[in-house]
Amino acid sequence: MIRFVAKRLALMPLLLWGIVTIAFLLSHAVADNPLASIVGERNLGNPDVVRAATERWGLDKSLPEQYFVYIANLLQGDMGTSFRTKAPVGADLAVRLPATLELAAVALVFAIVIGTLLGVLAARMRGKLVDGVVRVLALLGSSLPVFWVGLIFLFLFYATLGVAAGPGRLSARVIPPPDATGFYTVDALLAGDWPLFVDAFQHLLMPALIMSLALLGTVIRIVRSQMLEEQGSDYARTARAKGMTRGQVLNRHVLRNAITPVITIVGVSVGLLIMGAVLIETIFSWNGIGTYAVESSRALDFPAITGVCLVGGCIFLVANLITDIAYAVVDPRVRLS
Amino acid sequence: MSPLPRRRARKSRVAARAATAMALALGLAACSGAGPATQERTGIILGRAMDVTTLDISRSLCDTCQIYNAAVYESLLRATPEGSLEPLLAESWTANADNTQFTFTLRADAVFSDGSPVEAKDVEWSWERLKNLAGSPSYFMAGVSDVQAPDARTVVVTSELPNSAFFNIASAGYTGVINSDVAAQNGATADANAASTDQAEQWFLGNSAGSGQYVLDSYAEGTQLVLKRNDNYWGEAPNFTDVTIKEVTDSSAQLQQLQQGDIDVAMQLSFDALGQIENDPNLSTEVVPSFNFVYLALSPGKPGGEALQDPRVREAIRKSIDYTSAIDATVAGNGEKQATGIPNGFEGTEGLPLPEYDPEGAKALLAEAGYGGGLALQAVFPTFTIYGVNFATMMQSIQQSLQGVGIQLDLQPLEYQAWADRLAEGIPVTAVYFAPDHPDAIQYVQYFGLIEGSVWAERAGMPVNPQEQQLAVSALAQTGEQRTATYSQLAELMYNDAIILPVVNPKYLLASSADVTGNNLDITRNLDLTRIRFATG
Repeated sequence: MIRFVAKRLALMPLLLWGIVTIAFLLSHAVADNPLASIVGERNLGNPDVVRAATERWGLDKSLPEQYFVYIANLLQGDMGTSFRTKAPVGADLAVRLPATLELAAVALVFAIVIGTLLGVLAARMRGKLVDGVVRVLALLGSSLPVFWVGLIFLFLFYATLGVAAGPGRLSARVIPPPDATGFYTVDALLAGDWPLFVDAFQHLLMPALIMSLALLGTVIRIVRSQMLEEQGSDYARTARAKGMTRGQVLNRHVLRNAITPVITIVGVSVGLLIMGAVLIETIFSWNGIGTYAVESSRALDFPAITGVCLVGGCIFLVANLITDIAYAVVDPRVRLS
Repeated sequence: MSPLPRRRARKSRVAARAATAMALALGLAACSGAGPATQERTGIILGRAMDVTTLDISRSLCDTCQIYNAAVYESLLRATPEGSLEPLLAESWTANADNTQFTFTLRADAVFSDGSPVEAKDVEWSWERLKNLAGSPSYFMAGVSDVQAPDARTVVVTSELPNSAFFNIASAGYTGVINSDVAAQNGATADANAASTDQAEQWFLGNSAGSGQYVLDSYAEGTQLVLKRNDNYWGEAPNFTDVTIKEVTDSSAQLQQLQQGDIDVAMQLSFDALGQIENDPNLSTEVVPSFNFVYLALSPGKPGGEALQDPRVREAIRKSIDYTSAIDATVAGNGEKQATGIPNGFEGTEGLPLPEYDPEGAKALLAEAGYGGGLALQAVFPTFTIYGVNFATMMQSIQQSLQGVGIQLDLQPLEYQAWADRLAEGIPVTAVYFAPDHPDAIQYVQYFGLIEGSVWAERAGMPVNPQEQQLAVSALAQTGEQRTATYSQLAELMYNDAIILPVVNPKYLLASSADVTGNNLDITRNLDLTRIRFATG
């Protein structure tokens, strides 16, 4: 396995270079000019301002020249400066990525834990009312548009009933914890501030739950069908014949085998969850990487777009690697090579 | 069963119990009533879609920047709500006879947030940097040939040409004074080549160097901008310990957060929300006039705009627009008609004829111009909503009106960048917006008039109108009633040009929690933080 991991890690720089190159070329292939977002519509007719901005942001250089400057800087850890925020892209991402990761991590936990529990429950109660309800929930989770559910939940639970926390990562007038990890819940705990942790967690609950819905539905369906399939297999019948209770067979043997495909789905979904967080982030004023990507794209902020693609590529590559490793750990039949 | 599976089973049970306990703890946490450490309600939270692209005052140009610049920096003069000028950092100001030299005397007691005095050298440095950066607000220093600081309290500005608008310009927040020593230590420069050598923009994202009531506490792009009280403020104490401008992107979210008390002021509520909140005892609302406007711009000299070269066609378009319907559709009737590119209430606009919906008159003009059988025009516009006006809604309303007189408007909505790119090429018909920078009408003449250097003269592909050019030069050499009369003539000429056809001058919905008083829309500050306060504070 070590050789496998080392090989995959060694390939990563090459893959990331490919991602950066494609992202750079695609973002520059757009016919429009980012100058309007830099100088504003009113100054587009001002040649002095346009010239100064063009020179300052290197837009007067040829595309190959811009590319080589970008790659040279990137090799030194400099992802460039955002046209839009005027801050280093690395610093922008360092602030936004933890916000999205925190949200996605909680959503992932919700999807796996709740999805597995409900999947097992549905399998055990096959054909009964509970099974039907769970299957409908799974269907709704997979089919309801996230933005619609988000808006409805906000209107209902926050604006009307006032039982849920509102948009943003913390309540109004709450001072964020000292920055250690960028995860407000973790930083609050590190600071020993329990009420702050509670506030941060309350703000996470609704967006994370909604973010998890699609994956939750998938996990429920997979766990349920795998459980049903495995229950009828020879080893399960043998275990029952040797005196184990149905629950013991399900929990110790069947569930472990049934959950293997979930790892694959979750592994693939992690990247999508993080990079597709834009709708949830927009609705819940969650200043994460999703909104950054969209705002950067709208402003044709080339360094930011390329930076997001680079980070997104890293996330996908690492998630896939972890999935492969986890698959081998859970299923001894799998050999990594 | 072997001992090994039993141990595993025990471990599993322990793990399950631990997980359950954790879940319970989190659940309890979520329901816990204990509140985290909060800022006292001596600070105000303003909810708005922040359009900040920089916090470097000399590079900034946006609505939120107006609030920030005025709160953190200070200009030499300030515009009152009535439109006159009053002292701020300057205690007196004079111009020479031909309005080419302006002398300011600074207050002796004004200090920056670090306690150092505000001196003439800081004004000189700030204005030279503003000009030499060639940034978005550099046009405030257009025509300024020299800034001198003969002593610590005297600033002398020389203009290439007469410029009686300069005192009004000096009241704009963008001309605020920077602590030159502090900024220079952090990479700022006012040199002639500052556009390429100044390195301070990132420093300004985390720091401020002004003499205003507040200093920058923190800025998280896309989340919030926090200002805190300047403990060294030289003047009247600020009304708040801190001011938070919170990113709340749309009107419905602003409404929800205002109702829940998460923000104290909702700055961009659409008029749809008015019905929901005007009778809410916990909230305060007021509809006030604004100087903002949204306009249709015609480009007769650009490809596709050939038919517009006949002034009768342009006049026919003006008469074809059902303004009342457009105002109803966009701002639920909370708007005014406007005659020309100079907004209602500005010098020179008194008595101007407001545009009237006259389809028969329009048809007659079109027939006279040889377009009795109708004509088709392309309208390319940006897809956004500003000042409550959704451009797509407005253009659809106009399309319908124009169809009534035989003008087919081919609507082409574009994303902002793509639209801005098309502007350079020339768009026969487009829709744009404008908000004032300072209280002088010359900004509109210079931007919309058919004079040298005017943005819209170039975009419309129209030649300079010698009479307008002459009057614009004259206005800047005049003051008082004489200048007002010249502005009136300019406004009439701009009306006759029919290049800029204002569609709606939207009113502004001030909305806040009930204990907020003095909420306002300020001409140079957007929101004047010296006038807004908590009633109980």
